[in-house]
Amino acid sequence: MGKNKDIHKLTNLMTKALRHKIGSIVNKDEFYANKYVKDAEVIMKEAEKVLLRQNWNDHDKGKIREQLRIKLRKELEQKDFLHNGKFEIMNEEIDKALKKFGLF
Amino acid sequence: METKFIKTVSKGSRFNQIYVPKSMESLIEVGDKVEVRLVKKLIEIHYSKGLKELSQFKENLIKSIFSFLNENFDFHTMFIVGSFLTEKIDYNDIDIVIIADKKDENFEEEIYNKLIEKFNLKFHVLIIEEKKFWRLLKICPLTKAMFSNFVCNKPIKIPNESLVNKNHIKFLLMMPYDLLEIRLNSRSFFDSLRRLITIKRFLKNKSLGIAEINEELKMLMADFLYKKIRDNEEIEKNSINFLREILKSKLKIIEDLIKNGEE
Repeated sequence: MGKNKDIHKLTNLMTKALRHKIGSIVNKDEFYANKYVKDAEVIMKEAEKVLLRQNWNDHDKGKIREQLRIKLRKELEQKDFLHNGKFEIMNEEIDKALKKFGLF
Repeated sequence: METKFIKTVSKGSRFNQIYVPKSMESLIEVGDKVEVRLVKKLIEIHYSKGLKELSQFKENLIKSIFSFLNENFDFHTMFIVGSFLTEKIDYNDIDIVIIADKKDENFEEEIYNKLIEKFNLKFHVLIIEEKKFWRLLKICPLTKAMFSNFVCNKPIKIPNESLVNKNHIKFLLMMPYDLLEIRLNSRSFFDSLRRLITIKRFLKNKSLGIAEINEELKMLMADFLYKKIRDNEEIEKNSINFLREILKSKLKIIEDLIKNGEE
């Protein structure tokens, strides 16, 4: 699969995983918050498979970061049932995920 | 030499009582001052309605767990839920739910580590604040289903009352919606379908027994596919498409049902 397609797939998966993770942080009152962290981990594992398909250069890394930021913001805007504060931690969670994947 | 004795508290007609043993009546006399200290709390277990009696081994294990938690952490309400109660041997871990005045995540981990150290078994520990617990039993289909079967250290009645909270339900629907777009392991489909069946049954005021939920899920697909996704085995693309169709139809039913719920 081409790099651009993989970037698209990788950022889609990371977006969903981060949305679950952010949901588990901001909706802390939910009894099942821990469960959503696990949902995030399952999706992140799938993203890791895509990550390992390519060698990413600095240009790709920048592209991934930008796409992820746009997609996650849009995703969080749509999920109005996630508590306020989701946007405040968005960038921090993106950075953490990118660092974990060696894409920072 | 210290003058002491250990006795069991007995039920009196007006007050619970402890008798001074006959052999000690000259040592501890009327008018003497004594100190009474709890040495070991009696642990009783109470079954939820309809739950089959557990084996002596499982009952004793639960009593030991409750006793350990009571002695070390002084909790007043503790539950065992999940497959440990319903499966003879195929249970995943022992799910413990503790009702506490305040939730502390580090505390959860401390309890988990101490339980593992003591019993060398797999546990899953959840602490929940009392007021949230009662609220969740009204609004959360998954919590309600979890408490369809339980063993508790005291008699407790789970209320039947339900309240539809749209935001909470939407929160629960995130993963099933994701599975329409992304491909994850097959167990994710199993969990999401089971989640949707639970939510649908909750919204329709149907029983949330685990056996009934699993039965409804089984009816949706061939036995081989049910077993494959339950055991997280690899599945073909056409099976994924089939499962997505089921997800879609269940999501549609739920969306229609929650239209009139509270925000």
